Amino acid sequence: MRRTRIAAAVAMSASLFAAGCSGTATTTGTATGTATGSGVKEASSTDKASHKQGGSLTIANVQGQTWTCQFNPFNPAVNTVSLGFVYEPLVFVNLLQDQKETPMLASSYQWSPDKKSIVFTVRSGVKWNDGQPFTAEDVAYTFDIMKRVPATDLYSLWTGAGLKSVTAAGDKVTMTFGQAAGPYFFNFANQIGIVPKHIFSTGPAAEHPDTWADPKPVGTGPYTVDPCSPNNIQYVANSGYWQPGKPYLTKLQYPAYLDNGPANLDLAGGKAQWGSQFIPNIKALYLNKSKDNHTWSPPVTNVEIVPNLDPSHPATSKLAVRQAIALAIDRQRIALIGEGGQQPAANQTGVVVPTFDKYYDQAAVAAAGYDKPNPEKAKSLLAGLGYTEATPLKLTIITITGYTDWDASLAVVKQQLKPVGIDLTVSDLAQQTFDDRLYNGDFDLAYYGQAGGPTPYYELRQMLYSKNSAPIGKPASFNYERYLNPEVDALFDRYPTADEAGQIDIVKKVGAAMMRDVPVIPTTESVNWFQYNTEDIAGWPTENDPYAQPAAYNVPDVEQVLLHVYSKSAQK
Amino acid sequence: MRYVLRRLGFFVLTLWAALTLNFFIPRFMPGSPLQALRDRTHNRLSPAALEQMLTSYGFKPDENLFVQYLDYLRNMVTGRWGISIGATLGEPVTKVVGQALPWTLGLVGITTILAFALGSLIGVVAGWRRGGRLDSLLPPVFVVTSALPYFWVGLLLILTFSVWTGGLLPSDFNYDSGLQPSLTLGFAANVLAHAVLPAATILITSIGGWILTMRNNMITTLAEDYVRMGRAKGLSNRRIMTTYAARNAMLPNLSGFAMSLGFVISGAILVEYVFNYPGLGYLLYNAVQNTDYPLMQALFMLFTVAVLVAVLVCDFATAWLDPRARSKG
Repeated sequence: MRRTRIAAAVAMSASLFAAGCSGTATTTGTATGTATGSGVKEASSTDKASHKQGGSLTIANVQGQTWTCQFNPFNPAVNTVSLGFVYEPLVFVNLLQDQKETPMLASSYQWSPDKKSIVFTVRSGVKWNDGQPFTAEDVAYTFDIMKRVPATDLYSLWTGAGLKSVTAAGDKVTMTFGQAAGPYFFNFANQIGIVPKHIFSTGPAAEHPDTWADPKPVGTGPYTVDPCSPNNIQYVANSGYWQPGKPYLTKLQYPAYLDNGPANLDLAGGKAQWGSQFIPNIKALYLNKSKDNHTWSPPVTNVEIVPNLDPSHPATSKLAVRQAIALAIDRQRIALIGEGGQQPAANQTGVVVPTFDKYYDQAAVAAAGYDKPNPEKAKSLLAGLGYTEATPLKLTIITITGYTDWDASLAVVKQQLKPVGIDLTVSDLAQQTFDDRLYNGDFDLAYYGQAGGPTPYYELRQMLYSKNSAPIGKPASFNYERYLNPEVDALFDRYPTADEAGQIDIVKKVGAAMMRDVPVIPTTESVNWFQYNTEDIAGWPTENDPYAQPAAYNVPDVEQVLLHVYSKSAQK
Repeated sequence: MRYVLRRLGFFVLTLWAALTLNFFIPRFMPGSPLQALRDRTHNRLSPAALEQMLTSYGFKPDENLFVQYLDYLRNMVTGRWGISIGATLGEPVTKVVGQALPWTLGLVGITTILAFALGSLIGVVAGWRRGGRLDSLLPPVFVVTSALPYFWVGLLLILTFSVWTGGLLPSDFNYDSGLQPSLTLGFAANVLAHAVLPAATILITSIGGWILTMRNNMITTLAEDYVRMGRAKGLSNRRIMTTYAARNAMLPNLSGFAMSLGFVISGAILVEYVFNYPGLGYLLYNAVQNTDYPLMQALFMLFTVAVLVAVLVCDFATAWLDPRARSKG
């Protein structure tokens, strides 16, 4: 995913490790229908095989590098080829279906009333692919590794989330936290792959679980690696998988693509069936090549103009200027021209729709006048400050070199801001120079997108929570615009202890603050890039059945897709 | 003997200077391995955990730079090149380099030799028949093509032979990803097919130089007395062309050839990049992109040593062939 890559729309997972996040607790409202927020029912339909096994699938997900054939799930550089394929989480949480849960290695769980401890019941009858039985000990050991070797604690569970202990007894695993830990469920139950104790407690794996190569991964997942070469990973179905009759596809090919070009060609020609990157002019270059080629890229986060709110930046710290920008831009046109219509337009509340429709307050947006562009009002706001088209306010926006879609979007923004009295200069920076300036607050305007989570709370909290900020010159973790509002902080602090209706109300109130203070200006919605071919493969996630995030780079969502897809020719 | 010692001393001094630059320049670049890793993981993982992860792979952001420098010099010499902390996080650098080296040697090495051999041959013939049909066609054409940028020729070839012809020749990678490397004819054919376009790109853009210098040397040599003498003796044209003229005209080109062999190892970065060819040049590009200090250091050192050794060999060869070089030192 380099060079022509479209700005990564990879907001698949929230991370709440931000420095000093305190007092967070919530009920992750289980949308499974039980609605009590305290337990998952025994898996039902997911367990039953409804198709015959056979067939194979080729994945085109550009890596920019040949494979290293390491599969250690704790190594962030390689875990996209091990999590979901070989290693499995306790519970799968679907971001696209209002946090719908699918029990995986845990057959059920129970929160304590104060949400400070959780008891998982591990699934019985599961075997590691080397034949050893999977037990609660394995789960406890996985979390113990993260405590013992902080480098493996990628989601700061033992530090940020306040994890205190993980103990196994019989088929139960009890996790206790120093604080209510609801929002971290997404991380510890959904994003951590459980590893086998009998492998990770001996030899080099025990000494260095963070750097161990793990060339022949032993997991509980639907596939095993056989063989791996620098150019291709081949997975074969795990015959002892705990869901009988699954996975349907007996082989997967995962070639190492160094660049988007060849991957897109293979996708268009049907040589690869599962695509996960931006294809420019997708209609001509992909969809029209075959009637079996389809695309569906659901939005998950925002791409936004980040203004610098620090008083040392006199123009962008003025509310009227930010309001003028937010009113002047026509988000539909930015999405249509800049993103070729492949990303939807965002809105000023920062709630991604339609994914999180439940949290979106259409009436409030209309009342605030942000439901459609209003260049006239923008013009008068700027005229009040003495700026006109003839004597414009000069602003520079920084963006990342090589993100060609962002350049195109910014060209549209520039064009739209000109008549209202802002002369925008687009400054393309190398990725790392851009990062430096963004983190340290050395910009007037920046173009950027954050990671998200299973509700809008995750992305909004990252962007707006004051503890994620830092003084100018010091790196901020996520609040790059330096938005400091105690009222909004209080909303975020209350979210974890609120019930589901309360949480929706809180997100709507944060959305109102987004429109009142205009701390950031969302333009388009980042999507999960997904192209799929239905000539032989069926069972893909679709808009009508969004059972998982569809791009192959999403872990652990990739496993759900692998458990659904099947070969049509093998059914005969 | 004194000459040899002086050359060797110069070799060591240059190597040290180059190694020192190789250590410091990457560290003056904006960014850090940690930032690159945060970008690659889309800023969704704990920076503290990522930093510790890099530290366990040998990244020492807080250690005194001078101490690091001394460690680095020792490690470069002893071959302990460390572990990659970039895109190939966790792979030993020796393994990463070892995987890429054969592909670059194969592609760029063979193409360089081919370009030299073909270029010299064309130059000889063109010089021999000065003003002939060959002479008025090939040298001008190839002088023009050698002025074209690598990557542009590459893109043009991809367009012509891969895109327009519906994938007649593969336009990227070293072999089909579905294949397992094996010692079979089918695999070899696949590797060759993948090498055709990048090799053609290098040939087209590098052959012109050899042709031109060889042709001009040939013309000078043909005016020498011993050639006239050969003709007077009634030797055959072929014999005069090959053993009298070409053999002498080749000498200056040989030292240039030795030098260019030294540059083979650094690959043709742009060609490898355009064709996604997983050789050393592509590796270097990725290492720089991801601020992978250990990998960059090892690659730069290899490139430096290769060029320096080539220069050294060239010096010795010249001294052996030409007594004047020895006496002047």
